[in-house]
Amino acid sequence: MSAEKPDEKVPAAPELSPLLEKVVSRLGDRVLEHHTARGDDRIHVARERILEAARILRDDPELSFDLLLDVTAIDYFGQPDNFEAKLQVWDRNRAVMRRLPQRRHELVLPPRGPEPRFAVVYHLTSTRLAHRLRIKCRVPEDDPKIPSVTAVWPAANWLERETWDLYGIVFDGHPDLRRIYLYEEFVGHPLRKDYAKHGEQPIQEYVGPGAKEPRRPH
Amino acid sequence: MAVQVVKVRRPAATFSSANPWIAILKGLWVSIRHFFGNLGLFLRGRQDFAIHFPEQRLVQPPALRGMPVLAQMADGKERCVACGLCEWACPTSCITIYPAETADEVERYPEIFDIDMSRCMFCGLCEEACPEEAIIMSRQIEIASYSRRGSLWSKADLLVPVDQLKTRTDYIRRNYER
Amino acid sequence: MLDPERKNPAVPIEGNQAAALEELHTPPMRLQFGPSHPATHGTVKITLDLEGEQVVWSDVEVGYLHRGFEKECETGYYYQNIPYTDRLNYSSPILNNTGYCMAVEKLFGIAPPERCNYIRTIGCELSRMADHMLCIGASAMELAAFTPMLYLIEGRELILDMVDSLCGARVTTNFVRIGGISANMPENFPEFARPRLDRALKLFEDADKLLTENPVFRQRMEGTGYLSRDDLIAWGVTGPMLRAGGEPYDVRKVHPYLVYGELDFDVPVGEHSDNFDRYLVRLEEFRQSRRIILQCLERMPDGPVDADDPRVRWPGKGRVFNRMEELIDQFKLVTEGGMPPAGEVYHAVEAANGELGFYIVSDGTGKPWKCRCRAPSFSNMSPLSKMITGGQLADVVPTFGMINMIGGECDR
Repeated sequence: MSAEKPDEKVPAAPELSPLLEKVVSRLGDRVLEHHTARGDDRIHVARERILEAARILRDDPELSFDLLLDVTAIDYFGQPDNFEAKLQVWDRNRAVMRRLPQRRHELVLPPRGPEPRFAVVYHLTSTRLAHRLRIKCRVPEDDPKIPSVTAVWPAANWLERETWDLYGIVFDGHPDLRRIYLYEEFVGHPLRKDYAKHGEQPIQEYVGPGAKEPRRPH
Repeated sequence: MAVQVVKVRRPAATFSSANPWIAILKGLWVSIRHFFGNLGLFLRGRQDFAIHFPEQRLVQPPALRGMPVLAQMADGKERCVACGLCEWACPTSCITIYPAETADEVERYPEIFDIDMSRCMFCGLCEEACPEEAIIMSRQIEIASYSRRGSLWSKADLLVPVDQLKTRTDYIRRNYER
Repeated sequence: MLDPERKNPAVPIEGNQAAALEELHTPPMRLQFGPSHPATHGTVKITLDLEGEQVVWSDVEVGYLHRGFEKECETGYYYQNIPYTDRLNYSSPILNNTGYCMAVEKLFGIAPPERCNYIRTIGCELSRMADHMLCIGASAMELAAFTPMLYLIEGRELILDMVDSLCGARVTTNFVRIGGISANMPENFPEFARPRLDRALKLFEDADKLLTENPVFRQRMEGTGYLSRDDLIAWGVTGPMLRAGGEPYDVRKVHPYLVYGELDFDVPVGEHSDNFDRYLVRLEEFRQSRRIILQCLERMPDGPVDADDPRVRWPGKGRVFNRMEELIDQFKLVTEGGMPPAGEVYHAVEAANGELGFYIVSDGTGKPWKCRCRAPSFSNMSPLSKMITGGQLADVVPTFGMINMIGGECDR
């Protein structure tokens, strides 16, 4: 990485892997971005179009992504969505400090994520063709909603419930969106970065059907 | 894709599977064989498998990771220099060290060295991190106590003479030059 | 009696039976199966609605063992999370260690040396053997066959002896390191392992003889828990359950890692996709694992066991004691962790119950930004409700046993 002259760095045109070529040609403009890093192929899809993209990915005979391995989310809380960009800025700052500490005003802050806070991540594979793909959909904090893919892959049922439980992302159209690990009355979503690791909360009272009088005086 | 596949077959219908009693007798024959095998060993004074714990002990391999202890040198002092690496490496933060200064050659020693054994999970990362071979996973594994307070081991409890830790030190020294 | 074509007996209630039910006015009985039930080897609550003996509605509730593995991983250095992965699937811990460490190695771009890969393969297959023994033994015991459990636990102890001699612990192994393993294999390990493998196989065959032809066992396993191959794939089921449905999806063959590409072993597949086939697939996988271990012991190369990469692997103690640079290196690595480049990886290994994947997002610091574990038990459990609804109450136990849900991994 040429940390000295970040402006002159021309990013090389990303080369498409054979799988991504097929995926991009099938999905067309539904693919916002695509990357190949460390042997993993990744595409970004707008959250409104995830359901149609999912149907194409499953039903196209040359893609045939029939096995949904994983659904999870990432919380980019207070971070630029692109860690690589942050590192570039850090490297540049370090280079500035090393050469001319008096030019401290040239330091720049890492770009704050203009992108939405959450990303929902799907991992797919094909049992027949044995390739893997990762799909990312950005989900903003103030409207954490994304269409559910349960109709395409029933495997998403529990995985989406888990993502709702731990990240608080609502899956529209999910048949049974309950918490799966924690109990219904739990306050907050513990895998969000603003939920403290040692954040304890007292056991919340059960409020569902058949709830009795509160056992403890408040 | 060519995957070497072997198809599992259900046992074909035979005389024994058609007659449940014969299948059960065949199963019983296995148990009876085991019974007489064990009985024969017992009569010859040998046990097949079980270990009667308080009287007999399992022979543990040299790799055994027991509870972490502090190595005590011949002069009665600990080898630890209170650098705090084990404290850093410990995933469960069960080690507490307060360093102090001494007039000796090493200049530093731990004034307090506590290990909360109720948190310790015997992972051995402290031993791997230690740059002095001062904290060593001993072969001691019976550390139950009657109270929570009893699980807090202080420096005086943890010191063990080096020559008693020979099995373990010999074992870890095999991996020193890698 | 042994009708292999018997599928899930989802008998619709009709005719005289329906009229009788109408007359009797019996509402479905609500049965709470669990959370701690002697016939489930895991803490899980299954709520069942019963019409007589038939399950008409069911709901599966997991999460009783949720410990926040992923949250904990975000606050520890990469090397500090390895002991936590032991606690995911506690009946085959080395597989989890390997899965996590290989994901981190992929992030760093490290390739461990050959000998390390062979030793890891041995550890993985030993774990798989122990897991299958426990699964079959526990399932048999839940079906009231106690003796096979004793033989299999005895065999499992022999296998754990080998794990013990490799890494010094039987269950909480903490064996694999990023870019290496914690200790080299003992010199006498092949001589130590071969007789034990033979004896474990003998005990395993005895349990096989007791169970496979036993009419009670077969009647309870055959035809129960049926799920078609397409349903298995749609519900994200992997591992022995998927292979029992006739789909030869095995990560060891499809995306070979470690040294599996060079070894000669078969993938067992079933055809009926019921509990008995899942049992038979596990039996066969045990034998294949033994074959893999024997091949590894034969081909074991000499050489170092640690990748020579100063970013992750702590320097040897011999140099730490005597040289300044390595001492500083040790301090830096312990207090800062190894710092991988920013990015994200997904790496999967074939665990005993299916595909175990780790999805790690790094922001360039010594701690993972996110460490996601794709647990096979969790995905395998999700169609349980579908599998048991419409069947008999007695079929819940073998179906649950053959899923082999491990609470530590399912609930994380």
